[in-house]
Amino acid sequence: MKTPAKQRIMSKFNLLLVARLIAQTFSVLLFLFLFIKTDYTGSDTIEYAVNILFRIDPLLAFCAMLAARTVIALLAPALVIVIFSLLFGRFFCGWLCPMGGLLDLWRTIWRIKVDNKKTKYPQLPLVLLLFLVICSVFGVPLVGYVDPFSILVRGLVQAVYPAINFVSDSFFTYTYQSLPAAVNLVTEPVYSFMQATILPFEQRYYELTLVSGFILAFLFVGEFFQSRFFCRNICPLGALLGLFSRYGAMKVSGGDESCGTCEICRTNCRMGAVDENRHIHLSTCILCMDCMVKCPKQIIHPHLLHNSARHKLRPEVAEVSVSRRQFLACLSTGVALPPLLGVRNRGGAKGGSLIRPPGALIEPAFLARCVRCGECLQVCITNGLQPAFFQAGLESVFSPYLLARSGYCEFNCTLCGQVCPTGAIQPLNLQQKHTTKIGHAFFDKNLCLPFAGGVPCIVCEEHCPTPDKAIKFNVVEVKTPRGDRVTLKQPYIVDELCIGCGICETKCPLPGRSAIYVTNTGEVRDPENQLPGADFDSYSGYS
Amino acid sequence: MNRRQFIQQAIALSAGLSFSIPEVFAAKARPDLAIVTGKNYLDVVGHSIELLGGMGQFVRPGDTVVIKPNIGWDRSPEQAANTHPLVVQGLIEMVLDSGASSVDLFDHTCNEKRRCYQNSGMADMVISFGSKKVRLEHIDKRKFIPVHIERGKSITSWEIYKQAITADVYINVPVAKHHGLSRLSLGLKNSMGAIGGNRGKLHHDLGQRLADLATVVSPTLTVVDATRTLLRNGPQGGNVDDVRLLDQVIASVDPVAADAYGTTLFGLAPEDIDSTVAAHKMGLGQMDLAKVNLLKKTL
Repeated sequence: MKTPAKQRIMSKFNLLLVARLIAQTFSVLLFLFLFIKTDYTGSDTIEYAVNILFRIDPLLAFCAMLAARTVIALLAPALVIVIFSLLFGRFFCGWLCPMGGLLDLWRTIWRIKVDNKKTKYPQLPLVLLLFLVICSVFGVPLVGYVDPFSILVRGLVQAVYPAINFVSDSFFTYTYQSLPAAVNLVTEPVYSFMQATILPFEQRYYELTLVSGFILAFLFVGEFFQSRFFCRNICPLGALLGLFSRYGAMKVSGGDESCGTCEICRTNCRMGAVDENRHIHLSTCILCMDCMVKCPKQIIHPHLLHNSARHKLRPEVAEVSVSRRQFLACLSTGVALPPLLGVRNRGGAKGGSLIRPPGALIEPAFLARCVRCGECLQVCITNGLQPAFFQAGLESVFSPYLLARSGYCEFNCTLCGQVCPTGAIQPLNLQQKHTTKIGHAFFDKNLCLPFAGGVPCIVCEEHCPTPDKAIKFNVVEVKTPRGDRVTLKQPYIVDELCIGCGICETKCPLPGRSAIYVTNTGEVRDPENQLPGADFDSYSGYS
Repeated sequence: MNRRQFIQQAIALSAGLSFSIPEVFAAKARPDLAIVTGKNYLDVVGHSIELLGGMGQFVRPGDTVVIKPNIGWDRSPEQAANTHPLVVQGLIEMVLDSGASSVDLFDHTCNEKRRCYQNSGMADMVISFGSKKVRLEHIDKRKFIPVHIERGKSITSWEIYKQAITADVYINVPVAKHHGLSRLSLGLKNSMGAIGGNRGKLHHDLGQRLADLATVVSPTLTVVDATRTLLRNGPQGGNVDDVRLLDQVIASVDPVAADAYGTTLFGLAPEDIDSTVAAHKMGLGQMDLAKVNLLKKTL
């Protein structure tokens, strides 16, 4: 670099730069704090606004409301970001976005130096945004797949956080079981402290750990190709905020002909927002303040639109836009998707065959609102909620379902509905929860010991949580496979009492496959999916 | 404070008594079962131990003590699925007064661990002691130790929680309640909360397996909480209409006799419970209540 750049420039923007760094640090820390607090802490209600990040995201708000064709009041905070963006451009990306903050931190840690002048696919975020909006219009909810917060939290919930716990668990198990007591005098307090502060309460396991983990890792690997690779080349939220910024009140004046060959602003821009003419592209600039601070002439500065006359009318900056061809491609894909998705054979299960969390809206409305953030997975205290892969189709990937063999729906727990940022899972009070049927249990009598082996068991009956047990038993005399006559208890299910919580399937002591299993049959949210002969009152607890 | 002073005095008094009476008589005077009824559960449990000669008989200064209540379910005290926190509190106070160096409480829960400890009232009760000696610990899977069950007829080894074996004094504090498979859940059944592994497998021969387990998890003292009994839909209940108030605590050094007596509270006979019968046959205790020295007291 040239010597002038090395000189310390007394810039009036220095303070703002420091402010930005503080804001970024604070928002990353706050985000991590809220992430850790997305857990049961002894109270039946979550005490922090752990889902706030998803509720201020205008992209999620816009797409979810379009897809669900309704106003979602929970997402009202997104308006704040819209207004701020109209006033101050993409300040959110540079100052508050925890994803952006983590990427910046990552680059600093690895001291990555790459050519940042030209963004590789400058139009892609905008095309993606258009595609997502069109898909939402046609009722295909895909926004959660690429939203930065969904990617971030999903990756943390399913991969990073459990993996961190796995490592510390293994380490402290080793020290506890294999090292002398003197070592444990040090390690055990450390472990206890970590458990009380940053570690999850228990080891979690997720079906899509690798998928969600790799997607998140990809964002960080991108930094080795270009700074803020994801933000420039993919992030549709950034593209949306860029639109607000472009038509918003604030402009940033860049350099001009008088700058000569100096390209300090351009080479330093982490977003590639400065072009050859040293004009600053407002749809890309995230107001990180780097160029303003580093400009030797100190001529880069933000100003309000109505002042622009004073700054002489510059040649209009050519902002990124979508070509007609790209628009048509998005539109035709968006138009083609619904019929293609609609004609897939679903094996007779119109509303899908996954067990959704208690309070989940009926399947199409549920998927339209679900932004795949993984908050419910994180808060589910039994590790029962898992992200779906392609079991329920392309539009259902990463959506939560109950895998009852891995964990059950805790009878007195209502946390998933409390953390859902979009109301895809409606919050239920305890009384509603107790009577919300999410599925139904069935016995496989070829496996179930009292039927198949003449062996006493009924662990399922023991755990059945409804105060009047949904699993009861008959005392019968049976002939065992060996020919002995024994008297034992054979379980059966009372249809009207079973709420499908799945604890029976979780606790069935058979190794491998459970002899009792739950399906979504009879779930209260879907009138088409009722048990034959059942005569349930229609449930009106959902808004 | 009053109550604690009372207990201290009572302990001192009984100590004095046992000094003044010749050894032979003192041994005879100790009942096999102490059954105390009353509304103040702290006093009830205090008197029950008192009738057995006081906690000083079981806990020496410096001893490590495990108190193993039933905290298996995410249920409130009035739903009677877990041991009443006051009964446990009374025991902790006496154990501390006897000079124990530590008191560990735990249960391998069936519902989510934290919810059980919280909603059973056990977590708050333990916190109220504000003592580092008293620890309510979540099951730590590193602490399960495979134990050979030498006398086992149906199981020959199982993973058992470390403190349950290593503690100087193990006090089993079950709640007396209905259970689908075993008909009742009492002291022997409560020991399932001190083991690991695939616990559901014990159900395949529950009576004998619980008795086998009792040969290695052997309580110094069994204190059956029958302050409330769950009559139906056990072991986790959930409906207070299924709960009967008895305001009673049964304390015994004989785990089988404690279970046998507990059974009678439900209108059943000791021989109706497989684990009681199996344990009796193995010589772990007396199930014939006619041969048991009962001492009842109503406050």
